[in-house]
Amino acid sequence: MKNNLEYRGFMRLCLLYICFLVPPPYFAHFPHGHCFKDVSILEPQQQFTITGTVSDTYGPMPGVHVLIKGSNKGTFTNDKGGYSITVTNKDILVFSYLGYHSRELPVLGRTTLDVEMLSEVTELQEVEVNAGYYTVKEKERTGSISRVTAKEIELQPIVSPLEALQGRMAGVEVIQQSGVPGSAPIIRIRGQNSLRNGTTDNGNLPLYIIDGVPVISTPITGGSNMYLNGIDPLTTLNLANIKSVEVLKDADATAIYGSRGANGVVLVTTKKGEGYFTKTKVEAHMYSGFGTASNKMDLLNTEQYLRLRKAVLANDEREPDESTDYDLLLWDQNRYTDWQEELFGGTSMITDLNVSASGGSATTSFRLGGSFHKEGLVFPGDEQYQKITAGLNLSHRSKNKKFRVTVSANYGFDKSGTPAYDGSFYSTALSLPPNAPPIYNDDGSLHWEEWEYSSNLNNPLAAILNRTATDLGYNLIANMGLSYSVLNVLTFKVNAGHTYLNREFKGLFSKDEYRPDLREFLNHRSTESHRTRKSSIIEPQLVYKNKLGNGSLDGLIGMTYQQNESKSLQVSGEGYPSEALIKDLSAAEVISISDNKYTKYRYNAVFARFGYNWKQRYFVNITGRRDGSSRFGPNKRFANFGAIGAAWIFSEDPFVKRSIPFLSFGKLRGSYGTTGSDQIGDYGYLDSYEATRGPGGLYPTQLFNPDYSWEVNKKLEVALELGILEESVHLGTSWYRNRSSNQLVGFPLPSITGFGSVQANLPATVQNTGWEFELSTANIRSRGFNWQTHLNLTFPNNKLVSFPDIDQTSYANTYRVGHPLNIGLLYKFDGLDPETGYYRMVDVNEDGRYDYTDRIIVKNLGSKYFGGITNTISYKGLGLSFSMDFVVKDGLNYPLATPGTISQQSIEFYKVWQGTEGDVVQKLSLTNAALSAYRRYRISDRFTSDASFLRLNNLGISYEFPDAVLDRIGFSTCKLFLQGRNLITLTRYNSLNVETPGDSSIPSLRTITLGIQLQL
Amino acid sequence: MIKKGFKTLLILLIGSFSITACEDYVDIETPNHMMISETVFADQETALAAINGIYNELAKADFSRGYLYSVTVLAGLTPDIFETTSATDARYGPFQQNEISPIDSDDAKANYNMWSSIYNIIYMANSVMEGTQNSKSISQEVKDLVEGKARFIRAFTYFYLVNLYGEVPLILTTDYRKNAKAERDDVNTVYNRIADDLDKAIILMEGAMEYNDSERTNVNRFVAIALRARVYLYQENWAKAEELASEVISQTSLYGMLDDLEQVFLKNSREAIWQISPVGRGLSATYTGEGYMFRGQNSSQIKLSEDFVGAMSANDKRLHIWIGYNTSRGFYFPQKYKDARSRNDVVEYSTVLRLSEQYLIRSEAKAMQGKITEAIKDINVVRNRAGLGLLAEMDQEMGQTELLEEIMEQRKKEFFAEWGHRWLDLKRTERVTEVLGAMKPLWQDTDVLFPIPGEEREKNPNLTQNNGY
Repeated sequence: MKNNLEYRGFMRLCLLYICFLVPPPYFAHFPHGHCFKDVSILEPQQQFTITGTVSDTYGPMPGVHVLIKGSNKGTFTNDKGGYSITVTNKDILVFSYLGYHSRELPVLGRTTLDVEMLSEVTELQEVEVNAGYYTVKEKERTGSISRVTAKEIELQPIVSPLEALQGRMAGVEVIQQSGVPGSAPIIRIRGQNSLRNGTTDNGNLPLYIIDGVPVISTPITGGSNMYLNGIDPLTTLNLANIKSVEVLKDADATAIYGSRGANGVVLVTTKKGEGYFTKTKVEAHMYSGFGTASNKMDLLNTEQYLRLRKAVLANDEREPDESTDYDLLLWDQNRYTDWQEELFGGTSMITDLNVSASGGSATTSFRLGGSFHKEGLVFPGDEQYQKITAGLNLSHRSKNKKFRVTVSANYGFDKSGTPAYDGSFYSTALSLPPNAPPIYNDDGSLHWEEWEYSSNLNNPLAAILNRTATDLGYNLIANMGLSYSVLNVLTFKVNAGHTYLNREFKGLFSKDEYRPDLREFLNHRSTESHRTRKSSIIEPQLVYKNKLGNGSLDGLIGMTYQQNESKSLQVSGEGYPSEALIKDLSAAEVISISDNKYTKYRYNAVFARFGYNWKQRYFVNITGRRDGSSRFGPNKRFANFGAIGAAWIFSEDPFVKRSIPFLSFGKLRGSYGTTGSDQIGDYGYLDSYEATRGPGGLYPTQLFNPDYSWEVNKKLEVALELGILEESVHLGTSWYRNRSSNQLVGFPLPSITGFGSVQANLPATVQNTGWEFELSTANIRSRGFNWQTHLNLTFPNNKLVSFPDIDQTSYANTYRVGHPLNIGLLYKFDGLDPETGYYRMVDVNEDGRYDYTDRIIVKNLGSKYFGGITNTISYKGLGLSFSMDFVVKDGLNYPLATPGTISQQSIEFYKVWQGTEGDVVQKLSLTNAALSAYRRYRISDRFTSDASFLRLNNLGISYEFPDAVLDRIGFSTCKLFLQGRNLITLTRYNSLNVETPGDSSIPSLRTITLGIQLQL
Repeated sequence: MIKKGFKTLLILLIGSFSITACEDYVDIETPNHMMISETVFADQETALAAINGIYNELAKADFSRGYLYSVTVLAGLTPDIFETTSATDARYGPFQQNEISPIDSDDAKANYNMWSSIYNIIYMANSVMEGTQNSKSISQEVKDLVEGKARFIRAFTYFYLVNLYGEVPLILTTDYRKNAKAERDDVNTVYNRIADDLDKAIILMEGAMEYNDSERTNVNRFVAIALRARVYLYQENWAKAEELASEVISQTSLYGMLDDLEQVFLKNSREAIWQISPVGRGLSATYTGEGYMFRGQNSSQIKLSEDFVGAMSANDKRLHIWIGYNTSRGFYFPQKYKDARSRNDVVEYSTVLRLSEQYLIRSEAKAMQGKITEAIKDINVVRNRAGLGLLAEMDQEMGQTELLEEIMEQRKKEFFAEWGHRWLDLKRTERVTEVLGAMKPLWQDTDVLFPIPGEEREKNPNLTQNNGY
């Protein structure tokens, strides 16, 4: 109730906010020439009438809006496409129609002006795609680059921008591991290349570049334990401020990033001013809605649970005992609590507000934006996630257009409150017996009494309500680009950038989370951690562009100086005299530092690119880079990387044109090259000591190896792109093969060496091959009604190709040569043992014991194929889009506790046990033999299931008011939209999050939001 | 105009390319939180800090912290001292039943943690030894001292390895390339190395007669001598065992038996020869691992065996002061350490070596040499303190066998819940099958050795497994 009131209050506030932020009309409607002095070149003349016809490829277009630029004077074309309007000589006419490119045409004394409008769809091939150091037309690219644009992502109610890529790009797999806002998703571009795949030590992270500035892509750990896999370093970006996200996949596209390109590159480009000579435009949108956990497991009710427990005792011929069977003897036998509902059954309220202004004069253009996002959590308590961002983008050019400068700065602040619980939060919700004691007493205070029968149980709310965890993030990404064209064909450029990310975590642990009788001996505690990441980059470049023979030559040569610094400090305080002082670290009796690290990484490179294009038909692109990284020992710091890519647009060939007329586009392309990876901890080559946590001591913390070097990733790709019937069907097919060798790993060692591992290169090769298909169809293309479908499908194939002497390494029981990396080595299930009634596994070597030699089943746990389908349908102002993503894979079952223990159990198990469904379960028992039989069962082929899913990932419905209405209310755009995320997930798999089978975490929330977008 | 621009550009370019030589740019300094080994041993202060670091880490290492996976707990379950409170305890049950599995189970994990933590400490000792030997700037005196202490640590760790696992790989350098493939060395080789390290340590620490800062966590010469006495006893070199135990006992300015049993395990108690301070963990919690492990809470996983407690005579003070009883669940638990909750107020140190053992070593060594009277004198020191009657000195009724029996009895009652004494005693006196075979249904002769952890054997195929696993 209280929430609801607050919510309404907030909505009002937001409306007010919008009203104030919308600038007074005189500013927006100011005639161009008065606003920015540079344009008033033409002399005003007498008014006259201009007429004409507007048409597209289908013929005359009625209802096209014709507006005199910078005024509110306008008209619409009649049903024959004709128009007539009074103008002066200096006026500019703007023709606009939904789904078409607006055209701006100066009058220049003409009295008739016929206009042809271009539909947005047909032009996809002309789009400039960001390839990092350069841009390339979609049509002409030689490399493999996938792209999503603002339109597809800006209104989505998500926190981590990369989540928006889910199911949208072939070859790009995005797995959201948790529904806690800000959780880092896993992103794998063309599969897993490195054997290292841990949370803190991961060699499979792509390179993130935001507006030319690299951002450390490792998830940020060290904060709240609810972020099992860390916080996404991109949370502080404003989703609505992203112009496009490009993902570079093959050698041709990534080799220019050299040693950092092995796992692909994610380029985020933020929105800029729309160009010079543009009217000031103000845009705002807001949405709000709610989210809930999209899935729960089906567990037992009290009656079923008790039946199971009693059966175990009966089987074991044991009388219930108060010390071990308190759930049967001391707890209420009729009580029922749905612990999933209690712990993550809440509703999260979501509000988002975004405002921006942009415009430009002859020499300067700008864009300013700001946003606010807030969402609640589905956990108990009133913690929430909030984000505020501001962005500025300025471009300036000299009058002679030789000198250009762009500056952009994006600042984001976010605050995440989570229950300060540990990683066992979800497993608690999934294991607490349904008749566990109540949470509260009648008077609303926490109920302690019956929980104390077991040392393993606690009232889960005690911890949630008496701890707080707040994680604040501040993030600045700034960059500046200067360019000067020395000659018409030669430009000197410098890009410089800086990012600064700071996260401050504060966890407060009141001793009130413990039973009152224990508190006397306990202290209030607090933990703080500060993590700072800085990166700076400067890249001078020389760009050449000229005609050469029958074609044109592009060249680029540049250098990179990059420095990353990471700092972390974790401080704990204990012994606060009272709970009121717990926030003040200086009030702690004892302060201890558990982590105090500073690492620096430096990186230096020379890179070059040459592109030649002959007759707009044949394209060659050569890229290369020489890299040096401080992560390696003094003799191993430098290496070379390079790639060649080529494309042939055969549809431009006169012969093809003649013989296959329905082929509107055809391109064959391929690339080959090497990239590398230096994604390994810093300083691994040093023989070093660090301070012990105890006072006055030093100790060696790692084995050192001065000789390890780059991981090398060789990429090969062949692709065919076909467009038929004027691009109404466009099919892209690519085949790739990436091979990673010289694997850089924390090489596991027997602990007799003193440590578990050492950094080293392993002579192992991991291969990722795959087929990617991207199909776009314009099913219906007409002026009023448009329906497009995009489908992408990827068949990845990951394989450990070679690994000499794998048996000598600890990987012997993690990986198998000839199989994918993501496998389970499992026992072969062999039914029930007729004597004991327990599960039996095949004892392959018949030695009477079970170990890895008996785990003969190699189960692929990776995706067999995955993809997504997006449909976009528009009818006049009405828009409908829905995206689905799907993955086909197998997964290990979620390991609920052994049946019969004081712990929840799945309904499937119960049904089988009751005999209502086929199959068999082992005799319920808690004897050691039964427990170990069950333990083995959990690593058997029987304990896996189909974890494929099909999900309605995104549903958007929008309505754009027609221009006639807009004219009256004074907006140039007004759009209402409804977005639903994760509305339906179809799967046979029973666990919380089908995206990460076997783990417990809540999946991405199911959210529904409603909003409005306005433009002045 | 164009030419001029071009020139400027060239200059700019050449300038920017040559400002920084690539090689230098990626050469980064050592970060503040790290110190390279060479620097550590270039200075006496930091070299000694490396020894201090080992003491600190001992308070954290699984085998020595007195907690879940410590020698005290695990090797207390295998003989007749501890029992699990729950019949289905997956971690400790197999230890109590001597059915430890080498891999893939809770007990295997406990065994692995104990094993690997020992080798981690060994690495530190080896690293310190190499560091000092290569150092050119610290004085010979300091070198000797640091090396002596490191040698003691190494001997101490191998002593437990060889007694728990039998043949173990002797790792004497930090070279992981070699060590990763190391094979097991036979028991004699390991014992010889232990003896050699201790003998050298005793000589190298010639000058270290006192405890630095009066803290008994620091290794001095007598700490090494005390362990050497024990090793002689295990090697059945009775004369040398007697001699070295006597040397420790004679240091009356440093050591003495405490009449009050409550005070034995206090920090820097006069009875303590070597202790590990919980402060080394670097936490605000300053109670010992043993104090917390055996606090006798209802959910305690481990209790004292009733047979063991039952065998103590009613007037044995150790029964009343060192053993607690949980009335609500009805079980006994060790209570040598009383502190399970202090914060920033350390009262007890975890005691590794204490004077009482030296008396019992000497008593046994003398008894073995037929010096019954003298042996009785020594055992009486321990009996007397426990409030038990003295064995008559001239009691010629008591033969060597009965006396040795009595010494073993006293060792059991004196050192229960301390560093697996009972397990090691039963093994070295070869009575383990006789004693445990009678009480443990699953006992097999091969159970005298713990299994080599399976993970280790997977990573190093040269490691063989003990018989019976």
